[in-house]
Amino acid sequence: MKKKWWIPYAFLALPLTMYLIWVIIPIFQTFIISFTDWDSVSPSYNFIGFENYKMLFYDYYFLTSLLNNIKWMVGFVIVAIPVGLGIAMLMDQKYKGNKFYKTMMYLPMTLSFVVIGEIWTWILEPNHGVINEFLRGIGLGNLAKPWLSDPNLVTYALIFAALWRQISYAMVLFLAGLQSVPTEQVEAAYVDGANSWQRFWYVILPALRPAMVIAITVNVIDSLRAFDIVFVITRGGPFYSSSVMANYMYIESFNNYNMGYGAAIAVIQFFITLGFIIWYLINSFKKEDNL
Amino acid sequence: MKRGLVFLMVVIFAFSAFAKTKLVINSNASDPAPREAFKKVVALFQEKHPEYDVVVNTFPHEDFKTLLRTWLNSKEAPDVVTWFAGERMRYFAEKGLLLPLDDVFTDMSFEDYFPGSFKSASEYNGKIYFLPFTWYWWSVYYNTEVFEKYNLTPPVTWSQFLNICEVLKENGVTPITIGTKYLWPTGGWFDYLDMRVNGYDFHMDLTAGKIPYTDERVKKVFEYWKQLVDNGYFLENHSSYTWQDAASFLFRGEAGMYLMGQFIKDVAPAEVKDKLDFFRFPIIDGNVGVYEETPIDGFMVPAKANNPDGAKEFIKFLASKEVQDMYSKELGRLAANKDVTPPDAHAQKGLDLVLASDGVAQFYDRDTDPEMATFGMNKFVEFMTFSQRLDVILKQLEFQRRKIFK
Repeated sequence: MKKKWWIPYAFLALPLTMYLIWVIIPIFQTFIISFTDWDSVSPSYNFIGFENYKMLFYDYYFLTSLLNNIKWMVGFVIVAIPVGLGIAMLMDQKYKGNKFYKTMMYLPMTLSFVVIGEIWTWILEPNHGVINEFLRGIGLGNLAKPWLSDPNLVTYALIFAALWRQISYAMVLFLAGLQSVPTEQVEAAYVDGANSWQRFWYVILPALRPAMVIAITVNVIDSLRAFDIVFVITRGGPFYSSSVMANYMYIESFNNYNMGYGAAIAVIQFFITLGFIIWYLINSFKKEDNL
Repeated sequence: MKRGLVFLMVVIFAFSAFAKTKLVINSNASDPAPREAFKKVVALFQEKHPEYDVVVNTFPHEDFKTLLRTWLNSKEAPDVVTWFAGERMRYFAEKGLLLPLDDVFTDMSFEDYFPGSFKSASEYNGKIYFLPFTWYWWSVYYNTEVFEKYNLTPPVTWSQFLNICEVLKENGVTPITIGTKYLWPTGGWFDYLDMRVNGYDFHMDLTAGKIPYTDERVKKVFEYWKQLVDNGYFLENHSSYTWQDAASFLFRGEAGMYLMGQFIKDVAPAEVKDKLDFFRFPIIDGNVGVYEETPIDGFMVPAKANNPDGAKEFIKFLASKEVQDMYSKELGRLAANKDVTPPDAHAQKGLDLVLASDGVAQFYDRDTDPEMATFGMNKFVEFMTFSQRLDVILKQLEFQRRKIFK
């Protein structure tokens, strides 16, 4: 039977149309809105050029949010990736109960950030929260802190809560990556007398490069779009100290009726994220060239 | 073929049999008690007006606030929405997104239904856009058990109030609980202190953006507030808590007092409800009139409503004594309709408190611009955490005021 060339396109037509209507077009609309003073209520608005963008750089709360996003990024990359890799290495061994531990480590992945936020609101609660009760219980009561009320601590507390899930995500990526490490090479290194550290550093890690690139990209992008946990646990408070860009954008656009200003924040966030996606694409193409 | 035709006929028949006009109501009454009460209101309307097919969509408060604008602008606007009186309503009326309701009150005037003082909170440019339904008073709620235990009586003056705070603190009880995660409970403190120190007219001018926040008189307000903050009378780490979380400290007797609206009773466990009482916010300056916060909740009709006639029918129904009586009894709240008597002794006490006052305000976030409200209440939380930053905070508030009220 002759293949009909249009069949794959027919299957693609519906999802592509939906993607166009609900994702691509709104992105361009956001660009346009970011040049206006639209309040999201009035039928009319003015074009004000780059005014919103100029204001952003004088806006203390936007800069706080941007800085917090960078803290999230650093936390996700320097904690989630090594720890996730370490756990994946442990899980990859063969020992009794291995499946059980794997499942336990994977469990946080099945929860949404909203649920995680609700759980951690209680864990971090200053008076009766699990962490503070635990610290007091083991005689370290002076380390018990108002995690969510201290403006200097709150962002780290939120990153910590998010890491709980992010680490298990990294672990899953590395576990998958470890399947593609050629066993012959590891065995050959063993025969050549390489110790376990050398085997890891010179054989396994280079083979994990694709998984690493994916893990870094995913973590960076996740840190840039951090929103749910902040929204559920603190709403960016106290007084914007734990705010991230997405959260500040939401407050400005939807609570404060500054849709134009909110759109400008979204555009900046978009370009930063785009930068990392391009970095990822360049890296993955490079890899293909090497093969 | 034949089967398809029969099916089509059945569908057409089904539609014509239920050819009622649809009436869509979007409601923010998402807490269990108000939701149940509103269900009864709608059931009664349905009984009296079988020609309408009433659909009620209920949304959580915070979601409702963000979604409302989208509805008002959409072609598929709901016919009736719940909302707040005052500036919050005016914001939309000014943009032409609401339907004037004056023709609802043709046989009787607005004042025949509601107290005259409600009119200014319900109108814009001489037209009524808001139907007042229920309202409630704010005051200092306290745990009577705690007060009895330490032999305390409700204070009248500021110094008596400070005294009570001190006694409670000495006994290891948090004098005043407050949850500032969602910011707005701080607005109550600012409003009351400002009205007690500077009076109503000043407060209204300030919330309307006519007075700089750096004015000496505003600073004085914060100095009273500072006495409470610096003495550690407020609940520690209040920004970790929602208003309901903070209320549980009062219910458990770990805290003595809470400046809150009557709706605090909606979230109180049954065994605690009767242990809650309230007193008038203490008098600071005897020469200043006594003013209270009495936010009004009610309904509006979007300008783009598909069924404006049905909406007005429903609005008129909501204004009636019968319906308002029923709803206020369910919740122990005060009805806007002036012919409805308070549902219980607690509400009677609240009404007496308001009737004895010299005037009423809505609330900081209902009296001022929404953006100013978010910024202002954030700054109030900051002040309650770092009171030493007061001068900087006032300057920032003033900067924001000038930006918003051009």
